[in-house]
Amino acid sequence: MPAPLRKILHVDMDAFYASVEQRDDPALRGKPVVVAWRGARSVVCAASYEARRYGIRSAMPALRAERLCPQAIFVAPDFARYRAVSRQVREIFARHTDLIEPLSLDEAYLDVTVTKSGLPTATATAQAIRAAIREETGLTASAGVAPNKFLAKIASDWRKPDGLYVIPPARVEAFLTPLPVGRLPGVGKVMERRLAALGIATVGDLRGYALAALEQRFGRWGRRLHELARGIDEHPVQPERPTVQVSAEDTFERDLRLDELEPHIRRLAEKTWAAAAREPARIARTVVLKLKTADFHVLTRSLTPPLRPASARQLADIACALRERVDRPADTLYRLVGVGLSGFVDRDAWAAQEDLFDAAR
Amino acid sequence: MRFSIQREVLLKPLQQVIGVVERRQTLPVLANLLVQVDGGRVALTGTDLEVEMIASAAADNAEAGETTIPARKLFDIVRALPDGAPIEVKMNGDRVALNAGRSRFTLATLPHSEFPTIDEIELVERVRLPEAVLKDLMDRTAFAMANQDVRYYLNGMLLDLREDTLRCVATDGHRLALAETRREAGGSARRQIIIPRKGVLELAGLFESGEGEVELEFGRNHLRVRRGEVTFTSKLIDGRFPDYEAVIPIGADKVVLVDRELLRAALQRAAILSNEKYRGVKIEVSPGKLRLVAHNPEQEEAVEELEAETGVGDLAVGFNVSYLLDALGALRSERVRLCLRDAQSSCLLEGEQGENARHVVMPLRL
Repeated sequence: MPAPLRKILHVDMDAFYASVEQRDDPALRGKPVVVAWRGARSVVCAASYEARRYGIRSAMPALRAERLCPQAIFVAPDFARYRAVSRQVREIFARHTDLIEPLSLDEAYLDVTVTKSGLPTATATAQAIRAAIREETGLTASAGVAPNKFLAKIASDWRKPDGLYVIPPARVEAFLTPLPVGRLPGVGKVMERRLAALGIATVGDLRGYALAALEQRFGRWGRRLHELARGIDEHPVQPERPTVQVSAEDTFERDLRLDELEPHIRRLAEKTWAAAAREPARIARTVVLKLKTADFHVLTRSLTPPLRPASARQLADIACALRERVDRPADTLYRLVGVGLSGFVDRDAWAAQEDLFDAAR
Repeated sequence: MRFSIQREVLLKPLQQVIGVVERRQTLPVLANLLVQVDGGRVALTGTDLEVEMIASAAADNAEAGETTIPARKLFDIVRALPDGAPIEVKMNGDRVALNAGRSRFTLATLPHSEFPTIDEIELVERVRLPEAVLKDLMDRTAFAMANQDVRYYLNGMLLDLREDTLRCVATDGHRLALAETRREAGGSARRQIIIPRKGVLELAGLFESGEGEVELEFGRNHLRVRRGEVTFTSKLIDGRFPDYEAVIPIGADKVVLVDRELLRAALQRAAILSNEKYRGVKIEVSPGKLRLVAHNPEQEEAVEELEAETGVGDLAVGFNVSYLLDALGALRSERVRLCLRDAQSSCLLEGEQGENARHVVMPLRL
C-alpha cells in the first residue's frame, strides 16, 4: 500500500541576508552586495545575485570576494534584523499550515496536504505564500512543490530566484532521470566520484542499479540511494519540537589547517546563535565544535562552561578555544567545521537567582 | 468631645499616623483614627493591628471625650483647607462636625470601644541610641528586606542586640545587608527581634538625622519607640531569623578594589541592556580590570570596562544588577571591596575603610 499522497512545499528566500540589506538601503539595490565582516580573515555570509555573477559565494574568504569584485559593497551582518524578517515570513506560512519545519532563517518545509486556508491546490498555496512574502516583506522567495521533502527542495532551486516549480507525482521519474546524482541530498563530491567510478552520472543511471548491488557497496546508505533514485522520501515535515541542538556547518572550498578556521567558526557561530535565538524561551549551555578531517574522520569537542555563552561572540570564543582540545598534528587538514549549541533547557527553569540560605544548608 | 485647633497643628500629627492606616482593612474601624481629647491635648491613633502610631498636639477649648473618625477623609479635608484655617471639631450625636470658616463637614463615626489599641508591652529591655545613628543603620539595610515572602521572618528587619554592638540585618534570601554600631556595654544577654517591614518603614520615616537620642523599648512581643509627641509600637515577627552570619562568606579570597561611583555608573549603563526580568550582568575579573557585560533577549549587548585593583584573573560571575546597585548605594567609601570566590558563590561587598556595613549578594545563574 503506497502511503497517501503528500503535498510538500519548500520555500527558500532569495539571497536572504543580502536582499534584506538591499531592501533597507536603496543605495545597495542593483549593486553587488557582500554581507561579511571587514577583516583580513573574514568570510562571506551572503552575496547578492549581482555579486554572485562575479563568482562570489557564501563561505568564501572576504578577501577573495574583494579580489573577484573590487567594486562590491561590503555590509556587516545584522542577524537581529534577519531574524525579525524570518519571523514575519513564518507568520505567513502559519496562515496555511501548522506543519512548518524551519531549516534556517531563510528556508522551511511546509506540509500543505491539508491547509487551513483551503486553497484548492498546493500550487495555489505556494503562489499565495510567495505573493504575501513579496507584499509584506518586500522580498522574493522561491518555492518548490512536490510529493516529498527532497524533491520539493530540488524544485525550489529549479527556477531560482523568484520562481516556482512544481513536480507533480506523475512527473517525478521523468524529472529525476536526467538529474546529475550530485543533486541528491547526501551526495557530495566524494560520493559523486565513487558513483562515477561505477558509471553512474545521472539519477537515471542510479535507478538502473539493483537494491542489492547498492546495499552491498554502500550499506544502509545504498537503500537510501535506491529510494531517492525513485523519488521516494518518507521523511515527514517535522514541526518545531523543543530545541535540543542547533548547529551550522560548512565544507570548505579547499581543506584548511586548524589555525585557519577561526573566521569560519565565527561566521558559523553567528548563524548558530541566530538560529538558537529564534526560540528565546530556551537556552543552551553546551558548545560543540565539530571537525571533519580531509580523510573524513569526524571529531567533536564540547564544553559546558559554568556561565553559558550569552552572545554569538562568546559562542565563537568558546568554539575557537575548543580547538586546543584537538590532539592531531598541527598540519592536519580539515574539510569541514561546525559550531553547535546543545544542552538546551527552558530559560525560566535555568536563569535562577541563587538563594543565600539554600547555599548555607 | 470637642476641640479647636489650627490647621497646621492638626495636619502634622495626621501626617504622622496616616501611613499606618491601610487602604483596605479587615475591620471597618481600622479605616478610622482614634481621636482622644484629654487635658488640653488631642491624640490621634492609627493602627493596622501590627503597627500602631499615636501622635498628639495641644488644642484649645478642649472638652474631653473620644471617638473614631474616617482617617483618609479627615486627612484629605484638613490638608485641603486653606493655610492657617482655624478648625473646630465637635461631637454631635454619632457624628462629628468639622467646621473651618465657611466650610462645614459632618463625618460618620464608629464607637471608640471598637478601636483596638496596644496597651502594655511587657517591657524586657531599654536601649538608648543616638537617633541619627539608628536612622542610618536602618536606611542602609531596609532595602534588602523581603516583601511578602513565604519565609515570613524575612519580611522585616532583624535588630540583633549584642553585648557591645547593635546590628541591623535585612535579607530577602538573595542578598543581605548588615550595618552595625557600637553601643554602651551593660546590656544583658544577646537579644534578637524582628520588626515587620511596615514598622521599619514607618519608623525610618519618623526618625530624623538630628542630635538627639531615642529610646527603644523591647517588649516580649513588641517594640515601642517614643519620640516627642509620637509613640510608635509594632508587634514583632514571631519567628527565628536565619543564621545570617553563616552566609557572610569567609572563603571569598578573590578581592577586587574598585571606585564605588565609577562602578555604580557603569552598572547603571550596562543594566539598560540587561534582561528586564532577571536584570543579569556578568562581572568578569582580570588583573587590574573589571568588565561588565549585559545582554537582553534581543541580543543587544553592553560592555563596560573599568580599572580595578586586583590580581585576580579568569573569574566571571553573574549578578542581578539591582542588588549590586542597592548595595553600592548603601556604602559610603570612595572605593569598595568585592570579595568573590567563583561563579556559584556569593559576593561580599564592603567599603574600603571599614564602615561597619557589609553586603552579601548571591550570584545569578545566567
